[in-house]
Amino acid sequence: MAAGIYVDKVRKVFGTFEALKSVSLDVQPEEFTVLLGPSGCGKTTLLRIIAGLETETSGELRIGDKRVNGLPPRNRNIAMVFQNYAVFPHLTIFENIAFGLRMKKLLNSEIEPRVKKAAGMMHIEHLLDRYSAQLSGGQRQRVAVARALAMEPEVLLMDEPLSNLDALLRLEMRAELKGLLAESRTTTIYVTHDQVEAMSLADRIAVMHGGHIIQYDRPIEVYQNPANAFCGGFIGNPPMNFLQAERENGHCRIAGAALPGPSASQGNGRVTLGIRPEDVLVAETAASEHLTGRVTVVEPLGPHNLLTLAVDQQLFRVTTAADSPIKSGQEVYLALAPERRRWFDTESGKALH
Amino acid sequence: MITERTLPYWLLAPSLVFLIALFAYPFADAFFIAFRADGQWTFDNFRTMVDDINFGLSLWNTMLLVLIVVPLQIAIALTMAMMLTKIRAGRDLVLYVWTIPLGISDLAAGVVWLALLSERGYINTVLSALGIVDGPALWLSYETPVALFIAVILAEVWRATAIVMVILVAGVQLIPKEYNEAAEIFGASAWQRFVKITLPLLKPSLQTALILRTLLAFEVFAVVVALGGRDLPVLMGEAFLWQFDYRDSGVASAYAVLILLISIAFTLVYLRVLRVKEEAE
Amino acid sequence: MTALTKDNLPEKPGLADRLLPRWSVGQWLFAAICLILCLWVLLPIYLLVLSAFSPRDAVFAWPKAFLPLDLSTDTIAFFFGVRGVLAAFFNSVMVAVLTMVISIGLGAPAGYALARFRFRGKDSFRLMIVMTRAFPIAILALPLTVTFIKVGLYDTVFGVALVHSALALPFAVLISSSLFMGIPFELEEAAWTMGCTRFQAFMRVVMPIATPGLAAAAIFAFVISWNEVFAATILTLQHPTLTAFLLTTLAESPLYFRFAGGFFLVVPALIFIFAVRKYLFSMWGIANR
Repeated sequence: MAAGIYVDKVRKVFGTFEALKSVSLDVQPEEFTVLLGPSGCGKTTLLRIIAGLETETSGELRIGDKRVNGLPPRNRNIAMVFQNYAVFPHLTIFENIAFGLRMKKLLNSEIEPRVKKAAGMMHIEHLLDRYSAQLSGGQRQRVAVARALAMEPEVLLMDEPLSNLDALLRLEMRAELKGLLAESRTTTIYVTHDQVEAMSLADRIAVMHGGHIIQYDRPIEVYQNPANAFCGGFIGNPPMNFLQAERENGHCRIAGAALPGPSASQGNGRVTLGIRPEDVLVAETAASEHLTGRVTVVEPLGPHNLLTLAVDQQLFRVTTAADSPIKSGQEVYLALAPERRRWFDTESGKALH
Repeated sequence: MITERTLPYWLLAPSLVFLIALFAYPFADAFFIAFRADGQWTFDNFRTMVDDINFGLSLWNTMLLVLIVVPLQIAIALTMAMMLTKIRAGRDLVLYVWTIPLGISDLAAGVVWLALLSERGYINTVLSALGIVDGPALWLSYETPVALFIAVILAEVWRATAIVMVILVAGVQLIPKEYNEAAEIFGASAWQRFVKITLPLLKPSLQTALILRTLLAFEVFAVVVALGGRDLPVLMGEAFLWQFDYRDSGVASAYAVLILLISIAFTLVYLRVLRVKEEAE
Repeated sequence: MTALTKDNLPEKPGLADRLLPRWSVGQWLFAAICLILCLWVLLPIYLLVLSAFSPRDAVFAWPKAFLPLDLSTDTIAFFFGVRGVLAAFFNSVMVAVLTMVISIGLGAPAGYALARFRFRGKDSFRLMIVMTRAFPIAILALPLTVTFIKVGLYDTVFGVALVHSALALPFAVLISSSLFMGIPFELEEAAWTMGCTRFQAFMRVVMPIATPGLAAAAIFAFVISWNEVFAATILTLQHPTLTAFLLTTLAESPLYFRFAGGFFLVVPALIFIFAVRKYLFSMWGIANR
């Protein structure tokens, strides 16, 4: 039932703007892949090319064993959930969910149970006679998903489906979608710019930036071992900290401390150290390998405090316990968990090992 | 006193007064003139109107024109509006060209088509080159009523399709493109998308265009005069004749009242048939 | 004129060096229909212009030449030489300018009120404005002839301008209200907090932004007046507008005279539609409701 998706060296040029620069991706059958990136990174373009709504400039696309280049969307056996839901305003909810099935010329006796089943999964059975204008945003969202599920497609495409919901509803729908899609085992590509959504939902995340896929891996890998500085900075809230370091005989000097540098590519020059805020311990006394920093802002966020520091005149963020006595203006010492330190090439941003 | 509360009324007052003086008052006056003769309430003016030998013909011609011209214009304008959604390069130029007739008066349109259709005109030149007619042929005379009628249709379609197109293009632009994309994803062909998505969502604009165009079509006048003189009587032309040539405001006003009543009747029919349902966003 | 459809837009410069676009049959058909519809609009205008700029005896020429080989201002010169034409032309300009001034002068404040205030009777006023478009011109002009004779406005430029303003005013109100609605109220409020009176804020903040749109609305009013035939004809006798003059002399005037007259009716249309093309849709978008 579920099919894999193979994207091979796909390029897309709009006029003089190269939106996708030779992108390759292979999504296993039943896998949930999230395309994650800032706006303008090409993630929606890639999704729309897979859907057949845009035509690729070059490259190959396969869904299952079928080459789909040039095929119109209706022949690709896909379903899609749109950012603005696109629930047809002139049709009832029932007819909206039945739309694709009617296009397949199914009999009424086949359509009705499938519509009811999809509506049941999304808990909107009671809305079937209504029109889109009578529904709330969250309910329209459910209709859009039910409409896609009713198709029982080989591939489900979702374009920022939760971005128009308010924060609380988004949280609720996210959990519900995860349960539902895990159960339906449909191959899914999901586009979002929200890294929490990506972490929560994905089997694998494809991080996109400037028309490239930078990293395509399991969420925890992307989080812990970002392929470059951009990935580290984009994922995580607050994001990974970066500090410029001077390399010297296998050690790196930062803010008064000398840390063992990356094993690869020995030599002198600059490298960048990356460390996540939760992997730093704040101490009030100095020790070896501790960096020195001055606290500039303390933000109590409830579960923990977020400290903003200046380390060697560079911005640095750390989280501490909510009852931490550290105050703004104080000088502190930072212990970086050794197994969580990541090194990047300062020039290219690429990870060093 | 001008206060925050009365300010809007002060701003509205001039146009309100103006519209009462130049719409409401003449409107009431028209009925007064139409239904009075020799200081009494009477149907005399309407009797004169109906008994006139051109009355039946002018009513028939006007109706027939509306029934042929309006659907033709809607169809062409719809085609243009749909084509404009597909054009990328040169769209603005094409759109400008197609909207040019918007600024052309009915009199000017009549003269334009007169230049084409006159005895020694351009269309006859082409027809004779193609061997369809031999030499100059008369189209715009009382001896060729069908040809004259077709000429009026051509000129009206040429002139007044642009307004329908502009209304429909504005309507199409209001339809979010996601609806069409969603329909495409869920398996609808181009034709199915047009019938099942675009047309229903375009209903409010279609209604506006139909009403506006029909009302204006009932006032067809200068095109007919420019092309056929008095050889093709229409309602507005008769009203003009009774006023300008026969100096009988009573009968002329009776025609005006008749045109208004027919217009209202058609508007009500459209509103009923093309009901825009509550649910539409 | 080339019409490129969504599907054949050259995707990268490297591919654009093909000599002819490799279009499918459907795309050629699409381009052909597009071209035909453009010619359908342009060709008749071209031929009228050609007729107006041919020598007078060219109307009798057979077969007709489609190319501008024998251009002359003979017909135009004759046209302006006819007694009454120049005066009628001048009357038309006067009436149209007056219409512009009256309809915008009265309509813009009303449009501002509709855009910025909530008040009792607002919806009725809006409905009334929209309804006026359903009125046949005959039902306004005929009774007004009688009234105008009584009050001395019959056969005057001002009288015709009043009727034309009545036609243009609803448009002026609707267009200006949509214009003002498009200008954020916050801009005015910001000006108030910085010491402007309501009037100053309007003049210094709103007007500069609204001026191009109001100019377009004024041009629209000009065209409505320039093109109006029926009222102009029955409301005048000795002082007709150009349309009224042409209509009343149609039957006895030679063809070339009519063509020259048609030319002067069409030309403003071409210029004005070009000038207001940006606003056409916002005008109708709002005037639709």
